Amino acid sequence: MKLTGVNRFVSNVLAMAYREATVMRHDKAFMAVVTVQPLMMLLLFGGALSNEPANIPWAVLDHSRTQISRQLVSEIESTGYFLRPRAVTSQAEGEALLLRGTALAFVVIPSELRRDTLRGRPEVQLLLDGADPLNAARVGGIIRSVASRFDPSGRGNARAKLVARAGVLDVRGRFWFNSTLRDRDFFLATLAGMLLTNLCLSVTSLGLVGERESGTYEQTLSLPTTPLEIVLGKLLPYVAVSYGVLAFAIVGAGLIFGVWPVGSWLAMAVITLPFVLASLAIGVLVSALANSSAQAVFITVFFIMPSFVLSGVMLPYQLMPDGVRQIGGLLPLRWYQIGLRRVVSRGGGLDDIVVPILALCAIFAGLLLLIRWRLKPRLG
Amino acid sequence: MNARRLRTLVRREVNATLRDPFTLGVLIAVPLVALLLFGFILSTKVEDMRIGVYDASRSSASRRLIADLAASDSFRPRRFETGEAIERALVRGEIGAGLVIPADFERSLLRATAGGAPPELRVLYDGAEAVLAGNAEAFFAGIARATGAQLVASDVTARRLAGAGAGSPAPGGGVGVVTRALFNPSFEGTPFMVAGTFGFVLSFLTTLLTAVSIVNERQAGTFDQLQLTPASTLEILLGKLLPLGAVFAFDVVLMVIAAGLFMGVWPQGSALLFIAISAFYVVFSLSLGLIFSATSATAAEAVQKTVLSSIPTIQLSGFAFPIRSMPLPIQWFTELIPATHYIRVSRAIYLRGAGVAELLPELAILVLFGAFLLGIALRTLERRA
Repeated sequence: MKLTGVNRFVSNVLAMAYREATVMRHDKAFMAVVTVQPLMMLLLFGGALSNEPANIPWAVLDHSRTQISRQLVSEIESTGYFLRPRAVTSQAEGEALLLRGTALAFVVIPSELRRDTLRGRPEVQLLLDGADPLNAARVGGIIRSVASRFDPSGRGNARAKLVARAGVLDVRGRFWFNSTLRDRDFFLATLAGMLLTNLCLSVTSLGLVGERESGTYEQTLSLPTTPLEIVLGKLLPYVAVSYGVLAFAIVGAGLIFGVWPVGSWLAMAVITLPFVLASLAIGVLVSALANSSAQAVFITVFFIMPSFVLSGVMLPYQLMPDGVRQIGGLLPLRWYQIGLRRVVSRGGGLDDIVVPILALCAIFAGLLLLIRWRLKPRLG
Repeated sequence: MNARRLRTLVRREVNATLRDPFTLGVLIAVPLVALLLFGFILSTKVEDMRIGVYDASRSSASRRLIADLAASDSFRPRRFETGEAIERALVRGEIGAGLVIPADFERSLLRATAGGAPPELRVLYDGAEAVLAGNAEAFFAGIARATGAQLVASDVTARRLAGAGAGSPAPGGGVGVVTRALFNPSFEGTPFMVAGTFGFVLSFLTTLLTAVSIVNERQAGTFDQLQLTPASTLEILLGKLLPLGAVFAFDVVLMVIAAGLFMGVWPQGSALLFIAISAFYVVFSLSLGLIFSATSATAAEAVQKTVLSSIPTIQLSGFAFPIRSMPLPIQWFTELIPATHYIRVSRAIYLRGAGVAELLPELAILVLFGAFLLGIALRTLERRA
């Protein structure tokens, strides 16, 4: 008798799953979310978006007009971050370019450069457009480091050069896991997290509200199935699709952009389950809070935005103010991206991501309690 | 066009909006939350980064370096007993950087002051956090340079060797750079993001609300009812768009005040000019919202369309990622996005204090785009009416 009970349970769940999968297949909006969006985000984050300085417009006011000054300018240009410099004839002209945003940096070379070089204390002036703080700070660093390495006399010995570059201590820095600090690797490591957040949240919240509006939810409740079977059956296809999206994110990033996970694929598969469940649970909760599908989409969209921003998939969460950082800690995406970066970029295994997995399970459990409290009157 | 009919329609719309707490809440809460959210997330600093230190030298010089690291706001050193332990902690993400001080650190420091090779420090950064690692490298270099200079200066033998008048090692090359940042001297991220958030709210939230509001009306059938009255389609639409536009313009004023009071970011240029341009920019979201609503059957569909088209355009508009870092064809494409130009204008006014003279080309483009979009929106409606 017990065996038939289990059999019945399994077959009920599978029947629900079959029904849900059929509905999904015919839902045009859903198919767009599953097919168009992942590709678009893969191309955006892999090929278009980046914070690295590139094509920096800059201006030079060269009072000295010597071989040395031209060499300094060409050495800065040859770092590859810059466009061709725009030569200006006065300080005011250069500052006007900064004001209009047509130059990010403005280098002023004094007429005494050659003389100062012979005396050993040459200096140039650098004006930066602080209106673009992230790039301006980096461009300042790039120009400073080129200038400090610059050897106008051509006579400097190796040690003197070293001292000039690093001070008294010779700091040999190396960037692990992403040696050239490409933003592409930073984004693509967590692409799966962004895609799954979009998918799980928008699809469940929309689907459930839609069913309540059209009355099919009540119909399902009148079937000889238990609520548990219904919920499991509904979630099963989403979990399957989620793993499909995960596979797409990994293979797409690998094939198109050459960013393959360094660590264990098994670890990625394991941490994805609690993350997907937690995200689906948020979708269910949203659908319980919203009165119409338009409201549900609103709430979902304005939940997805902050999760992208606060979780650290696009910007480092470590630099945010304390309170903001702690709010971000309540988001499943925060812990998923921590886990993904450990596995994908740093080559970690299952034992390295125990804490994120536990955190995700805790969030999922908390959400289940909330849903139970909120949905009870409707199911009763 | 009849002024009295229009007034009635506007009053109807205002009453309907005031009775809908959800829309009202979205209109006020989302811009403010977006402001706070985006305002604080961009930073060029490094704060409290955990740095693993393996000190093989255990000398007073190495302890001095570690103490200097700890005294800075940027790093929090944590001791490790081996180099391998540091590497494992990096994989697990427990530390953001690792520092290995060689056993002969102090000795080679002494030798360096006498003309030998400078002591070598090995630093590993966690490149998985690309932005953090880049910032950390610059901060670490600064601290190491300062500490190194002090270590040499405090060393009596060094001073004697260096001779009179040479407090720091003689520069054997290199050009000094005197840096000054205009407009935002401390490279704060907040004003940059605040100015961009106007573009985000006015391109996304407002388009979404317009589309949903019109589709809802069509679905509920009130739109058809209105068309039976003597009012013309244009009047009905204006009756809908004018109050919406007024609310969006009010949102701009609200955001300007909130950013100033809560975040200390006021426009460097003329606030009036900024509000005027923003009020004009509202035309874009109204037109786009009209187009999306005219081509969708349900509110959910209109929302899907808006989200799918708005999110990538906002990401490409320079709101969070610099356009010049994108591949060239995409850079051309971004020039076709109205938000690109609006965000450029709002940053110029907010951060650089630019006036009409500097903004003329961008403003001309905005007006052109606005006329074009409005034309398309009206054409779409005529076809449906």
